[in-house]
Amino acid sequence: MTDFDITSGERDGMGPHGTKVGLLRVLGPAHVWALGVGIVLVGEYMGWNFGVGKGGAYAALIACWFAGILYTCVAMIDSEVTSTVAAAGGQYTQAKHIVGPLMAFNVGLYLTFAYTMLEAANAITAGYLISEVARLTSGVTDLDQRPFIVLAILFLAWLNFRGVLATLTFNLVITAIAFVAIIILFLSTSGVLGTSMMKHADLMSGQASLPYGWIGVLAAMHFGLWYYLGIEGTTQAAEEVRSPARALPFGTLAGIMTLMTAATLTWYVCSGILPWEFLGDGVNGSVAPLFDTARLTGSGFLVFLLGVGTLFATLASANGCINDASRAWFAMGRDRYLPGWFGAVHPRYRTPYRSIIFLVPIALIFALGAPLDQVITFSILSGLLEYTFMPLNVILFRKKWPMGVIKRGYEHPFHPIPAITLLTLCAVTYFAVFLGYGTQLVAMIGFYIIVSLWFHFWRYRFVNRGAQFTMPWPRPAGY
Amino acid sequence: MAHYQPPKQSKISQLVDVLVLLVLSIGALYLPVKLGLAGASVVHKTVENPTWESLGQNPVQAGQYEALGYTPESAADLITARFDYSFSWVSLAIMVIVVVGYFVMMLKLSETEYREVIAEKFGER
Amino acid sequence: MALWTFLEYAAWGLSALLAALMIIEWVRTDTTYSEEVLTSSREGELEAMTEEHKIDGGQA
Repeated sequence: MTDFDITSGERDGMGPHGTKVGLLRVLGPAHVWALGVGIVLVGEYMGWNFGVGKGGAYAALIACWFAGILYTCVAMIDSEVTSTVAAAGGQYTQAKHIVGPLMAFNVGLYLTFAYTMLEAANAITAGYLISEVARLTSGVTDLDQRPFIVLAILFLAWLNFRGVLATLTFNLVITAIAFVAIIILFLSTSGVLGTSMMKHADLMSGQASLPYGWIGVLAAMHFGLWYYLGIEGTTQAAEEVRSPARALPFGTLAGIMTLMTAATLTWYVCSGILPWEFLGDGVNGSVAPLFDTARLTGSGFLVFLLGVGTLFATLASANGCINDASRAWFAMGRDRYLPGWFGAVHPRYRTPYRSIIFLVPIALIFALGAPLDQVITFSILSGLLEYTFMPLNVILFRKKWPMGVIKRGYEHPFHPIPAITLLTLCAVTYFAVFLGYGTQLVAMIGFYIIVSLWFHFWRYRFVNRGAQFTMPWPRPAGY
Repeated sequence: MAHYQPPKQSKISQLVDVLVLLVLSIGALYLPVKLGLAGASVVHKTVENPTWESLGQNPVQAGQYEALGYTPESAADLITARFDYSFSWVSLAIMVIVVVGYFVMMLKLSETEYREVIAEKFGER
Repeated sequence: MALWTFLEYAAWGLSALLAALMIIEWVRTDTTYSEEVLTSSREGELEAMTEEHKIDGGQA
């Protein structure tokens, strides 16, 4: 531990005589909100509607709310742990201190994959959107989407490379616009302002109500996660937030409330205007459901607004993903879980620049080479594994450091009910994924088993044992 | 407990480690896609000379499809596609074993590593 | 249509430019600073709550 206060104004993350460089503490609660909601809000603009295809519109709504419960548990648990373990790497650092190194290595990979795949999905959607604009404005049907996909990823990587404050301020602005666009679409189509265009009763009657019965509701849980996936990424900013113990719980919990509102409004307007078979097919039917809904309103202004909203949402999300994935990768490099080369911080921009650059080609490989629903599934699966880890994590946390032993910035209520609820909902979601994508699930876990063995028997020898435990906590109970 | 000194890793070895991870991860993610094993199976019901009625669409639904620019012919594939949710209990059992086994293995190995960390950080009891 | 063909090329060009900028800056940084300085970040040093906890036993 250092003998000076590195967070003080004059040092500000820089060691004496410029010998040390660390990340920069510049962010406030609004940036945390923008990082969390910015990553996720794109889930309302695309992807969630695969859940409609899985079980019909009602199934998607039920899945939306159950996933909302799942994520409320995630946010509560995460807020408690992270208000105490405030370091870049988020859940990775939590796992290292609470469960153990191998779990931490796995969690670090979940994070990197979930975010990098989400970034790829965003770039695909942005490319699609630009080709739609070309088609609608000038009748161009053979637009090459690739340069726009590449540009989106490179531009955001460059922004991240140059500094976190500008990156997340940019995110705050475009996320707010994308959120307001959903509200305006709801107000102008639902009958609050002007006449209602909603046709729920007719569009969801007969076979269209629950086309697969209750198994469809279960199956829809798979994509129900997509409404919220990524909100837990707020913890990655822990080392760059001015007062993590307050800003992180506040930003995260405000974020989940924003998302529950946006998700329900999105479902309401889309299912009230688009027939479910079209809405539910995110590849051949509705790639960008809110944009398609706006098209059917016949209002040029709404088409423009939701087009902009979709584009901004994808950019905000990809931006946050680059931020989060690189922080997780950086934190693992810094601890030698990965080659230490990745643990470098740019002396001027104070960003983990090598990790940012390294993840660019990986995002490109998937953005240019894999279909959207597959990429989304990779992301959801990594997220799901991470959510399975969280209840285990918080149960061990409360056991090893009972209340009162260490200072917690936020204490979540009703423990262990949220942990058990979360574990149960994860089990349901595994089954839902199994119904459509069982092979990927097994392939993915096979991958994690192999890399776990690789880490345990080879890579872990390069890791300092005691020094990786950096939190100033007392010895855990029972050890 | 003796203080553990990790060996210094050479540049080449660092590079090899990154390549191993890359090949494994891209392989695991791409293999199911390339082998065509990914995604749910979809069945189509063929409807000869489809009309909105024979596709089971009421006037409001048909109206929205037309507003989107579809005709009964062009929308038929979209509307008649259905996922096949039948599954075998054996494959479900395999999945449960794989998932549970993975977490059990990881928690066990983590626990041994964690005890070492605590012993070195706080000293042996 | 000419406009969109132009935009495609512009997007490729801009991507290449941004990639080049990042790579140049990366190489410049790596050659200007020593590896010790670049990888000197340590977890927990920025921990704001450090002073609020008591460490009992053990060294860091």
